[in-house]
Amino acid sequence: MENRSVALITGCSTGIGFEASLVLARRGYLVFATMRDIKKAGYLRKAVKGLPVEILPLDVDQPLAARKIVSAIARKTGRIDVLINNAGFGAFGMLEEFTDAEIKAQYETNVFGLMRVTNAVLPVMRARKSGRILHIGSLAGKMTFAGIGLYCSSKYAVEALTEAMRTEVRPFNIEVAVIEPGSTNTPFKRNRHLSQKYQQGRSDYQSVLEKILAYGNAQSQKAPGAEQVVAAILKALGSRRMAVRYPAGFDATWFPIARWFLSDGVYDWVLKRMFRRFES
Amino acid sequence: MTSETKKPIALITGASSGFGFETAKFLAANSYRVYATYRNSKKLKDLKALAAKADVHAVLMETTWTPSVEKAVLAVVKKERRIDILINNAGFAMGGFLEDLSDQDLKDQFETNVFGYLRVIRAVAPVMRKRGSGKIINVGSIAGRVSFPALGAYAASKFAVRAISETLRQELRPYGIEVAEVAPGSYLTQVTTSARYGQNVRSNRSPYREYTRQMEDLMAKEFAKGGLASDVAELITKALDDAPMKPVYLAGSDAKFMAFLKWLMLDVEFEFFLKRLIPWSRFPR
Repeated sequence: MENRSVALITGCSTGIGFEASLVLARRGYLVFATMRDIKKAGYLRKAVKGLPVEILPLDVDQPLAARKIVSAIARKTGRIDVLINNAGFGAFGMLEEFTDAEIKAQYETNVFGLMRVTNAVLPVMRARKSGRILHIGSLAGKMTFAGIGLYCSSKYAVEALTEAMRTEVRPFNIEVAVIEPGSTNTPFKRNRHLSQKYQQGRSDYQSVLEKILAYGNAQSQKAPGAEQVVAAILKALGSRRMAVRYPAGFDATWFPIARWFLSDGVYDWVLKRMFRRFES
Repeated sequence: MTSETKKPIALITGASSGFGFETAKFLAANSYRVYATYRNSKKLKDLKALAAKADVHAVLMETTWTPSVEKAVLAVVKKERRIDILINNAGFAMGGFLEDLSDQDLKDQFETNVFGYLRVIRAVAPVMRKRGSGKIINVGSIAGRVSFPALGAYAASKFAVRAISETLRQELRPYGIEVAEVAPGSYLTQVTTSARYGQNVRSNRSPYREYTRQMEDLMAKEFAKGGLASDVAELITKALDDAPMKPVYLAGSDAKFMAFLKWLMLDVEFEFFLKRLIPWSRFPR
């Protein structure tokens, strides 16, 4: 049995997963950092030199991949103390215009993939009656924005899964929480998927979407990096009992609070005014 | 049989029973022409009886299959040249603790409740945009606001529906299309009898079997208190008369109460309340 705490993190080639692997390893965790494309491991490998990090390939879209990796880790260490479900991407485009394949791809990673990894890890945690699971959700799981409705819907689903799972696994002394990053300056932009219709210039909303994307880019350019998200992760892992949600960043903290004060009607009016700037 | 009509044309999915069926009845009585979709021709009896005496027309539509959705919508548009109202309603509930659900169980839940809605929207929205008018109501649930154990997959799908309704409302507004969500609490529909259970829910090896049983008892009690589906149909009919429609209509006192609590309380307080309701969910000593 491994005597260090063991953390399994998905989506570690860049961004939040990359940063989290590094920081947790520095804090004494034995980290299993996984990524879909092991060819992109170069940066991480260099960054974690000398630290207890093992880099493994894991495509959460594949039905059995998570079970295989998890049983290999369990055999080796006998424990998984922390799971960080971070692998995910954003699909951008107007809701009406996504193809079946695009919709499925978004959910395959952000929702079904997350559950596949979680369900693979839960038996290991149940056996030891201990464990913490962190889902990387988003501010987009609390509020919606035109042009990223599909992504928002997948992150809303993650919020619901977190809430249900918290109660379901509590008798096994397992805790679940969701980290909600707001706008963060990571390669999220580069990894996003733009709807085919938009890419081909055939969208009925071409110019609206163009402005929404430009706005989103400008926002994330001036946003803090993945460190603020890792700070929220550390806060969650350091707490005696984890809360339901850990917002990361100014917008993720304050936008939902502002929303709380507004009635549905007033909030709808605000959104209408916001959307108007993307029109014409 | 149908002719050029001044009546508003409404398309309702999942209309062979429950909210969909009742809404078809109400809208027809309020001088809409209703196209009511069904999936299973074995459950068509009530809808056929309704179609015989009202301006209701049954249409076969499998919302999990794009060609079927496109074919059904095209058939309506060919006849009527427009669709004024879309009620996205076809859905079901997948019960079971999340670890007891297979990959396929979770996918099936989303395939109908979320992707199905998106498929119908994809087929209908362009028709509405062309005319610069239309109303879309997505039937969500109180489970789109509060996520209970043993219903996590269903809640996740209904949370997604909430996000979709909210986004679509912004995206389609410039085209003169209004979008709203109707979120019912517990009602006496076939959502309980047509519920499916995850692969391992009934297995003796499930670590959650005792908790599942307790949750079933709790939910059976809740649903026994449920309101009549016709109340929701009435609310939908009224919502369509609002100009403009509100973003969200909560249906039922339980839905309003739970949504209010969730709004009022901090997460910790709400969890404290949940723990009182669900005594088994405690940390082991």
